[in-house]
Amino acid sequence: MSKQTEKVIFAILGVPMLICMLIFLWILSLLLTGIGTVRWELFTMSALRGGMLEMIVGTIYLLLGAAAVASPIGVLAAIYLVEYAPSGRLTRIIDQAINNLAGVPSIVIGLFGYTFFCRHLGLGVSLAAGWLTLALMILPIVIRGSEEALRMVPASFKEASLALGATKWKAISSITLPAAAPGVVTSVILGMARVAGETAAILFTSCVLITRGLPKTPFEPVMTLSYNLFVQIVALGAPAQRVFGIALVLFMIVTSLSLSAILLRIHYRRRQTWLRMKG
Amino acid sequence: MHLRSQPIEFVLFLCASLSVVALILMLLFVVMEGSLAFTRLGTQLILGLRWETNSDLYGGFPLIYGSLMVVSGAFLIAVPLGVCTSIFIAEVLPFQLRDSIKSVLELLASIPSVIYGFIGVTFLTPLVASIFGLQSGATALTASLILAIMALPTIVGVSGETISAVPSEYKEAAFALGASRWQTIRNVVLPLSKSGMLASVMLGFGRAIGETVAVLMVAGNVAMVPTPPWNYLAPVYPVTAVIAMQMGEAAVGSLEYSALFGLGLILFIITFIVNTIADAIVRRRPVGRDVQI
Repeated sequence: MSKQTEKVIFAILGVPMLICMLIFLWILSLLLTGIGTVRWELFTMSALRGGMLEMIVGTIYLLLGAAAVASPIGVLAAIYLVEYAPSGRLTRIIDQAINNLAGVPSIVIGLFGYTFFCRHLGLGVSLAAGWLTLALMILPIVIRGSEEALRMVPASFKEASLALGATKWKAISSITLPAAAPGVVTSVILGMARVAGETAAILFTSCVLITRGLPKTPFEPVMTLSYNLFVQIVALGAPAQRVFGIALVLFMIVTSLSLSAILLRIHYRRRQTWLRMKG
Repeated sequence: MHLRSQPIEFVLFLCASLSVVALILMLLFVVMEGSLAFTRLGTQLILGLRWETNSDLYGGFPLIYGSLMVVSGAFLIAVPLGVCTSIFIAEVLPFQLRDSIKSVLELLASIPSVIYGFIGVTFLTPLVASIFGLQSGATALTASLILAIMALPTIVGVSGETISAVPSEYKEAAFALGASRWQTIRNVVLPLSKSGMLASVMLGFGRAIGETVAVLMVAGNVAMVPTPPWNYLAPVYPVTAVIAMQMGEAAVGSLEYSALFGLGLILFIITFIVNTIADAIVRRRPVGRDVQI
């Protein structure tokens, strides 16, 4: 095969990638065209007067709570899987269950959240029910991310501390875990980015269209950007320029979360040269 | 059990097994809430042709058909694009560019579905309507297009990973035998990563069939099998969309409420099977086997 044909083949293979990039630019440019129509004072104005304050704060409440529930459990689960789990049937089942949990459609998680958290646990349509529901979606991401981070810490770190007389848990909690911390934090941020715009899972579990002020306890419903964007378009048929602001703010929150996760990862992989990189 | 005398290990084990508990609870509660529909409707829930809430008819076939139609349309677009992109990124693209392109794809993957829905409603629907001269651009085709964009990053990401998992010794051996770069890709890299790509497509399928909000906003939401059945310019009402739209109005304990949980169970089972198979494929990746050039 001549060099020429090979170049042609590679060029053809490159077209789909260009299409992917163009789609991204297209979405970005569509969203940016809306900036002109957004009135920035709406950000700090109450929803009762047509602003977005409660939606923005509500989204942040929901995210932080869900992350607070999911991250400790996720990190401890990852420690178990990396450092303690014997290789056997039970561990395989746990491993498989994490993958399957990550694959459950968000609408089914929402259905489950409604019947289990809202009705059977008696939380009702509330912030707390939303935390638990979204935590189920963040959990697999945190476990997988933390597992990877823990595995990248060289075994010699832990061995050195064991040789100095530390117990296994002491060595893990004071040596391995701090070394893996940047990776763990990255996974938590990625998990938050993944659910920041989630709608289907909180549709019946924690959101309402309008509240009087911010929720004062976790047992009150919240307003979120995603839910409002959804309901305003689908149920109320709002024209694009009315909801552009909501879409933009949501996009900015999600993108800044995932961008900071990506940058954090790149930064620490460059700095922590002792990481055991794949390949 | 391996509790030994270490309480800390037991706590860690509990955290790890929470995923198993969550899955079991999910299955249990969805089945429980759906049980009324299973006993009253039986196979009608899957095979019945009419879904009309007003006449208390809950035949899920048009909905399941709608879901499958939208997802297959999306995959006809996304799989060739995604697989080519992943090969290009892993094997052809200069090393320095790889990370930034991957980051862009990661950002694309993190855009929430309600924003894709918003873009679909505001820009894609009018576009489809004007191109095909339709009254409304909310069709199965529009939903497929949006879903294809959403599935792309998953497919590119996972198949890219399996491509880079091919040991470089294999490629070097091919080069040493005088193979060109393309010959190496076609005869060494692709056969070895074929199964991983299949897994990526299945994972993408699982994601896509469970996608709710974006699809709901652009699919038109008419609970009928289009005529003819391959008419992509007709509106459809995918399973996920029905659940999201009707859950709010369904009275707790009614047949409608139960039927919605029944649909949820169908989704749960489909994605569970697809994900388990994809997982098994990834585990049995044939890297390390003899390669024939």
